[in-house]
Amino acid sequence: MRGFVHSIETMGLVDGPGTRTVFFLQGCPLRCAYCHNPDTQKRMGGEELTPEQVLHIVERYRPYYGEEGGVTFSGGEPLLQGEFLAASLQILKREGYNTCVDTSGYGDPRYYPAILPHVDTLLLDVKAFDSAAFAQLTTVNGFDTYLAFLNSLEENGFQGQIWVRHVMVPGLTDSEEFMRQLVELIRPIWARVDRIEILPYHTAGVKKYERLGIPYRLEGVEPMDKGRAKELEIYANKVFAESLRAQRQAQAEQKQEQPRREAAASELEKSALLSVLRGLPLFADLAEEDVEDILKLVTLADIKEGEYVFKTGDPPEFMYLIYQGQMKIFINTLDGEEQIFYIYRDGDFVGGLNLLVETPYRYIGQALTDCKVVVISKAAFDKYFYDSPVVLRSVLVKSFERIRWAEELIQRLATSNASMKTAGLLLKLAKRIGVETAEGIRLELSMSREELGNFSGLRRETITRKLGEFKELGYIDLLGSKVIVIKDLEALESYVL
Amino acid sequence: MEDERVSVGKVIIVKENLFNRPEMAEAWAGFKAGRWSETVDVRDFIQSNYNPYYGDESFLAGPTARTAGLWKRVSELIQEEVRSQTVKVDLERFSGIDNFAPGYIDRDQEVIVGLQTDEPLKRIMNPYGGFRMLKSSLEAYGLQMDPELEEHFNEYRKTHNQGVFDAYTKEMRTVRSVGLLTGLPDAYGRGRIIGDYRRVALYGVDFLKEMRQKDKENLTGPAVEDIIRLREEMSEQIRALEAMKSMAAKYGYDIGRPARNAQEAVQWLYFAYLAAVKENNGAAMSLGRNTAFLDIYLERDLRRGLLDEAAAQELIDQLVVKLRLVRHLRTPEYDDLFAGDPTWVTEAIGGMGEDGRPLVTKTAYRFLHTLDNLGTSPEPNMTVLWSKDLPRPFKEYCAAMSIKTASIQYESDDLMRPIYGDDYAIACCVSAMRVGKDMQFFGARANLAKALLYAINGGFDEIKRDKENRPVHVLPGIALNTQEVLDYDTVMAAFKQVMDQLAELYVNTMNTIHYMHDKYAYEAGQMALHDPQVHRYIAFGLAGLSIAADSLSAIKYAEVKPVRDEHGIAVDFTVEGTFPRYGNDDDRVDSIAIEINEYFMDALRKHQTYRNAEPTLSLLTITSNVVYGKKTGATPDGRKKGEPFAPGANPMNGADKMGALASLNSVAKLPYRRVNQDGISNTFTIVPAALGKNFPERVTNLTNILDGYFRRGAFHLNVNVLDRQLLVEAMEHPEKHPNLTIRVSGYAVRFNRLKREHQLDVINRTFHEAV
Repeated sequence: MRGFVHSIETMGLVDGPGTRTVFFLQGCPLRCAYCHNPDTQKRMGGEELTPEQVLHIVERYRPYYGEEGGVTFSGGEPLLQGEFLAASLQILKREGYNTCVDTSGYGDPRYYPAILPHVDTLLLDVKAFDSAAFAQLTTVNGFDTYLAFLNSLEENGFQGQIWVRHVMVPGLTDSEEFMRQLVELIRPIWARVDRIEILPYHTAGVKKYERLGIPYRLEGVEPMDKGRAKELEIYANKVFAESLRAQRQAQAEQKQEQPRREAAASELEKSALLSVLRGLPLFADLAEEDVEDILKLVTLADIKEGEYVFKTGDPPEFMYLIYQGQMKIFINTLDGEEQIFYIYRDGDFVGGLNLLVETPYRYIGQALTDCKVVVISKAAFDKYFYDSPVVLRSVLVKSFERIRWAEELIQRLATSNASMKTAGLLLKLAKRIGVETAEGIRLELSMSREELGNFSGLRRETITRKLGEFKELGYIDLLGSKVIVIKDLEALESYVL
Repeated sequence: MEDERVSVGKVIIVKENLFNRPEMAEAWAGFKAGRWSETVDVRDFIQSNYNPYYGDESFLAGPTARTAGLWKRVSELIQEEVRSQTVKVDLERFSGIDNFAPGYIDRDQEVIVGLQTDEPLKRIMNPYGGFRMLKSSLEAYGLQMDPELEEHFNEYRKTHNQGVFDAYTKEMRTVRSVGLLTGLPDAYGRGRIIGDYRRVALYGVDFLKEMRQKDKENLTGPAVEDIIRLREEMSEQIRALEAMKSMAAKYGYDIGRPARNAQEAVQWLYFAYLAAVKENNGAAMSLGRNTAFLDIYLERDLRRGLLDEAAAQELIDQLVVKLRLVRHLRTPEYDDLFAGDPTWVTEAIGGMGEDGRPLVTKTAYRFLHTLDNLGTSPEPNMTVLWSKDLPRPFKEYCAAMSIKTASIQYESDDLMRPIYGDDYAIACCVSAMRVGKDMQFFGARANLAKALLYAINGGFDEIKRDKENRPVHVLPGIALNTQEVLDYDTVMAAFKQVMDQLAELYVNTMNTIHYMHDKYAYEAGQMALHDPQVHRYIAFGLAGLSIAADSLSAIKYAEVKPVRDEHGIAVDFTVEGTFPRYGNDDDRVDSIAIEINEYFMDALRKHQTYRNAEPTLSLLTITSNVVYGKKTGATPDGRKKGEPFAPGANPMNGADKMGALASLNSVAKLPYRRVNQDGISNTFTIVPAALGKNFPERVTNLTNILDGYFRRGAFHLNVNVLDRQLLVEAMEHPEKHPNLTIRVSGYAVRFNRLKREHQLDVINRTFHEAV
């Protein structure tokens, strides 16, 4: 079996995530007025390649792909060469490549079940928002076919993410009303949409028409103003996020109302370590002389950034109270990556449950910043805390919080796309370390991008890309590598439940 | 350390616990001892004392008020020099380490002092390479040297240039004048020598002098020419060290003793480099590899509370201000070859240690950060030694700085480290050498496209005519091709004959040049900062590889018919059919490029070299690809007479049909080790919008492109991220973009300092754009 390949672009950096090898396949039934590759419209022509040859070519570019990059099939309309596309995608997925299909959703449905389960990212072109406009732009009465494609993604086994793309031509769809129509049109796939891109119409392809001797239907139409297109892109993304939030809220209301979290009481007083201990909720109901006694049994440890506090398998001999600084709790997963569960800071404690039920530490604790940590030995714990209702209640509350976190994490990992995960992460950080300023909520990070990614269940390159996108959309500002300013909290909140 | 690659005589190395010397003990307080504290061994000092840095750039500080004020003044001076199109020259004395009174820019604001002459940007007359070159440089600017100086010099001294022409054969002069060999360092300083300037900071000049005296006494072996020369050179080196000390003393510093703190370490190192650029005007005067070394001093002072981050950055910023002021006096013809007044103050940054720790320190960041604090600039020539194992934050910081400034080049540490270890640096653009242990005899390049035409034209030049207007016969014994359609095997066989003859001529010419350079323009100051016995490379070069490969591919896969003149010389070609071009990751043609390269390198290796130097070969044209084009007739790949070559190892403009990574993969196939071991230069220009949708995405993408390219086994990449439109505007309105910097072949240059034809060449090159 062979495919007809018009050309190959080995450095596609804007057609799907990361660095991609783009195969432009021959053939497209839609003769879009603005098509800038009219030479790919014919069904035949170009170079003939087998799926094995496709694999052989992309192997040469694999070292460039990083974490997110891979192979993109574009065109033309790649779905038109369904058999070849399905075979190529299957081989590529088998070899572990990230795949992307750039489509107008207009192909041969027989092959969809063989194609769609192997697509990681669908670049989905939305041509027009109603039947008449579609026919006018493309010369084909295919709007229903297109809608059928949208509605059948799930049943055909599509599990990936979708980047919605719309080419904006001045006078055709450049208004907020049309953006609302766009969002409404893609309702069946909302849960999978990661971003909406508005591509301003340009006239770079016009010369090809002259060369090919084809009349150009948009003769005289000016290129779309890029600034206006960006504004409408921001608008469309916002409308999308809000609509999605409304939908999810409605779904959530049907579920049982979750119990409200109780805040642990806190008291602050006195001086030096005594006051430190006294200030911690755990010590709230101990007698004055007991606290002084405890002073002899605990130590205040200065832990430097990057040092480990405990590791997997450590016996339950101490619990740790963070007096100052930040600590991350994580495990190394089987595939060698760090999965961060919690970031603890001032006033948090860890290890209480281990001492109570005498189980070794399962996770790793590492200082993210220089920390001051109060180390409480098992002896001290047993003597003074074991019977304290306040302590037991704190340990319980903490354990419950952790279960909630874990549940949320599972939910985020399972059901959210990268936008939602990133927005969720930013909101969580805003709550924990955010400082209100005139410019917005300022986050001074002590974590690297790598750690941020792990914390939110995303790869480093994905989180970097999403932060770049959020900046473009005006939600945040990035100051150097360690400061994020949230400028539009509401927009971020729209992405999460 | 004993080096089996050094073959002449033998020097016994003396060892002693130097911590017992009070001046060392004071300067070295807090340093961990090692072999370096028993004898000269800077690498061991670094390895024993440096701390790698794995974090990101968030610790960096901005410029101090002093630096900002100083840089403002310097940048006005630089702009003024460009605007007025004149240069200042000291017309009363010749070059030399200690021949000039101390000079300052603004004493109150200078933390690091020292200028080549007594005034900033005042250039030096260096007559030792070639007197005529000096005279014509002065004439080009309407200047005249002190007549007495001229008279005396010519009466008593002979120059390198005179020596070379005394010994050149007729054939050598011919290949030179037809442009088969171009850019030979036979009339100017050869450069490409890197003194280990760190030694002055670590040990002080007195100790280095004492050691060199012992080296000389300890040099054993029969008094044959090689050993006599070495003894004479060592004596020259000892005198140069004395001159260095005296020069620094005029600025009020005693560099006889080792540096005691970070300010002194930077200052001592700079004095050592300054001595080199006062004494020599070599094309490329690299700085070496200094960031991990200086980091040890900076971090010690930060720990001691003597410095804060702003003060640490200030030292590096001010060193860089000084490096940006280095100038040499050149002729207009020289500028045709190396456009934009480059000095190649190349600093190698990063790389990995042999023990697996990165040689990335905070000072590596501080050095790159000068591009932010002082603005972009072509000098110093920042060269990042890339390894797949470099910390990711450092990779991304470099990529971000490339996107912002287009001022960084990248070279594969993973290719060089197995050959040179982990204390090598880059001379000029791409030439690796172990600091203080290796040196190079630099040798320009041979024109491979022209050589291919000789294979078709029976050894006749396709352009040059004699007085009777007949074609000049350059190489004998090559059959004139009379085929109507060129046959690949016939042409290839003749091409190999041409390459055999060319290789022999090239080696003999280079031997002659470097014999005379050692004799008449010896770099005593720089060689004093080397081991007593060095390993020597002799570096040959090729230009026009992509043309030769594409032309042979056309002959092999399409139908190429020569259009011949009345003498039977092919002056043009018609090509029917298609053929694969170098730059598309297509092995059919890429293998031809490799075959030519390997063949030529083998041919060079067959000949005896001066001082038993090890031959290497580069693919690097600087900006001379334009001059080469002018001197070369039409070629079978469809290139017209006079059109520029592609720079370095780049594919021809417009040849790549598969996008940039295919082009990078083609270049990555060229063999570095033992073939193109003097470097393979590749320049990559991409428009910002094609690199990604926003800045963070661009940083990720560029980082991954660099990682991928070097993982494919590539050697070098110049990275430019800019729009063609910006360059067009800068060409029409230079005043709007006074600091616009771009990377050309192996160096960076201010765009407004290029001549229009070079600007057009850059603009016409491939810009990778979004599809």
